Amino acid sequence: MSAQTLPTSIDHRRPICIPWLMIYSGCVIIFLIFPIVIILLFSFNSSPSVSFPIRGLSLHWYSEIIKSQVFLQALKNTMLVASIVTLLCIMFGTLAALVLTRFRFRFHNAIQTLFFLPLSLPGLFIGISLLSFFVSINFKLSLGTVIIAHLIYTLPYFVLVASARLEHFDHLIEEAAQDLGCTSWQTFWKVTFPIIAPSIIGAALVVFALSFDEFLITFFVIGSESTLPMLIWSMMRRSIDPRVNAISVLLMLSSTVLIFVVSKFVDISEIKL
Amino acid sequence: MKRIQVCVDGVTKVFGEVTAVNDLMLNVEQGQFLTLLGPSGCGKTTLLRMIAGFEEPTKGSIFINGQDVTYVPPNKRPSNMVFQRYALFPHLSVFDNVAFGLRIKKVNENEIGKRVERILDLVQLQNFGKRQIHQISGGQAQRVALARALVNEPQVLLLDEPLGALDLKIRQQMEVELKLLHAKLGLTFIYVTHDQEEAMTVSDRIVIMRNGSIVQDGAPEQIYSSPANSFVANFIGHSNLISAHVSSLEPVILDFLGGSFYCHEIPGLYLNQEVKVLLRPDVIAIQHDSSKNEQNLLAGQVIDATFKGSYMDYLMEVAEAHLNVHYPIRNDTRSFSIGDRIFLSWLPENALILSS
Repeated sequence: MSAQTLPTSIDHRRPICIPWLMIYSGCVIIFLIFPIVIILLFSFNSSPSVSFPIRGLSLHWYSEIIKSQVFLQALKNTMLVASIVTLLCIMFGTLAALVLTRFRFRFHNAIQTLFFLPLSLPGLFIGISLLSFFVSINFKLSLGTVIIAHLIYTLPYFVLVASARLEHFDHLIEEAAQDLGCTSWQTFWKVTFPIIAPSIIGAALVVFALSFDEFLITFFVIGSESTLPMLIWSMMRRSIDPRVNAISVLLMLSSTVLIFVVSKFVDISEIKL
Repeated sequence: MKRIQVCVDGVTKVFGEVTAVNDLMLNVEQGQFLTLLGPSGCGKTTLLRMIAGFEEPTKGSIFINGQDVTYVPPNKRPSNMVFQRYALFPHLSVFDNVAFGLRIKKVNENEIGKRVERILDLVQLQNFGKRQIHQISGGQAQRVALARALVNEPQVLLLDEPLGALDLKIRQQMEVELKLLHAKLGLTFIYVTHDQEEAMTVSDRIVIMRNGSIVQDGAPEQIYSSPANSFVANFIGHSNLISAHVSSLEPVILDFLGGSFYCHEIPGLYLNQEVKVLLRPDVIAIQHDSSKNEQNLLAGQVIDATFKGSYMDYLMEVAEAHLNVHYPIRNDTRSFSIGDRIFLSWLPENALILSS
C-alpha cells in the first residue's frame, strides 16, 4: 500500500521518543507544578488547616506576614546579606573571571580548580567546616559570618556565569581602543566594561538568588540572627504553619521575576562547566 | 628623495624560542603604499604590531617622523590601525564608533559631528551613522573600521589583513577603493597581507618577508618580473619552477627538461651550477609543429585544459614534468585539446635564472 512508503528519515525515532517525553512531562507536572499550585491555593485559604476542601478565600495569612516584626527583620537581614554578597561578588568575581579567561599563567589550572572547588563540596561540609573554623579563631557568629560563607559558596557560580561571555571577548577590540588613544583605565571603562556588563548583571542576579534562599550553610554560621529561610524552617518545625504558604508564594513570585530579568541579560545556553 | 616617515632600525622580536622578526631594516617614505607580504608566520603581523605599539621589540628601534617611538604606547603614537575582523565596538553605533578617537582626545562635539560626517562621506557610508554594528554587512563594517582610523588624521595608517574576511567580489571592490583613498589622502599606508594578488593590486611597494627577514623589496612589477629567488617566484603568481644545470657560460646554456636552452646571463653564474629556471605560464608559446625552427623548443603533450575566460590554462606534460601554460583566447587562435602533441617555445630573456 502507498501509505507504508512514508519517508523514514524524518521521524523514525518518533515511536520511541514520544512516550518517554510524555512520561517525563507528566512527572514534571506532578512533582513540580502541582505542589506549587497547592501552596498557592492554601495561601489564600481562610482556615488554618492544610487539607481539602478549601472553605473560603482570604488574604489573612498575607496580612499577618506583613505585620510580623520577625518576618520583616528576617527579610531585612536576607536582603542585606544578599546585597552585600552580590556586590562583593561583582568586585572580586569580575576580576577573577577576567584573569582566568584572559591570561595563561603559572598555576592557571590549579587556581581555576581551587576556585571552582566549592561547587563540588556538599553545603553541609562547607557549613560545618566554616563553623568550626570561626569558633576556633573566636570569630563571633553573626550576619558577617553569613556573608563570608555565602561569598565562598556563590563566587564560583558568579565566575562561571560571567566567564561565559568573556570567553568570546575579542581582545582586538581593546587594542582598537588603545590605538584610538585610550589608556588602559579608559579602555576598561569605555569598552571592556560596557561590553561585559550584561553578563556581570546576569551573574549578579544569579548570586543574589542563591544567597537569598541559602539555608544549609547559613544554618551553621548564623548564630542568633535570622534570615528568611531560617524563619521558614523555624515556623515549620512543629506543624505546617499556613503563614509559610504565603511567604513561599511571595518568594516564588520574586524569584520568577528575577529569573525573567536574568534571561533578558544572559543567554543561558552560553553557561558551561 | 621623499621624507622617511617610518624607520625600522635593526628590529628583532623573540617570542620564547621563536624569532618572529630578525634584525630587520626598513624605511617607509611619506605617502607610500607599502605592503608587507609573506606566508603566515613570516613575521609581517608582528612587525606591524611593533610599528603600532602593541609589541615591544626585543632589540632595535622604531622611528616615526624621526622620533624614537620604540617604547611609546599605542595611544600616544601618530599612527592608527585597521584591524583584522575590524574590531568595531559592538556596543556603539556607527557614528559613535567613528567618533570614539576624537572623543578620547576631547575634541568638541560640534567639530566631531562635522569630521565624522565628512569621513563617513569619504567611505561612502552617508546616513549610516545611526546604525548599530550588528546591522551592517562585512563590507560596510570594513568601511567603518577604515573611517574610525582615518577620522583621527593619522600620519601613518596601518592595515592588518583588512580584507581577509570579505567575499572575493567585495574584496576586489575594496582593493580599488583603498587605492583611490590612498591617492586622495596622500597618507602613508602600511598594509599586511598573505594574498599576493591583493598586494599586487593595492601597493606601490611590496616587501616580501620570510622567517622574520626581508627577502625582496621593490615595486610590484619589479618583483613579478625579476623575483630575487625561487621562494619569491613561487609566492608571486603562477610559476613553473624547473631545476636546471649550467652547461655552458659563453653563451649561457642551461640543461633542463631533457633539452639544452639559451638563457640570458646573470651575474655570479658558474659552470655546472645547479639553479632554478622560472618560466611564467604567460611567456610560453604553443604550436602544433616544430617547423618554425625556434631556438628554445620543447616537445610535450596537453594533459589538461581549463577555460579561464580570457585565456586557456593548459597543463602540459614535458619530459615527465608538468608545466602550466596560459594561452590567450582570441578569435584567430587555434585551440588545443587534451592529448594533442605540441611544441612549447619561449624567448631566452623570459626564462629567469634563480639561485636555488
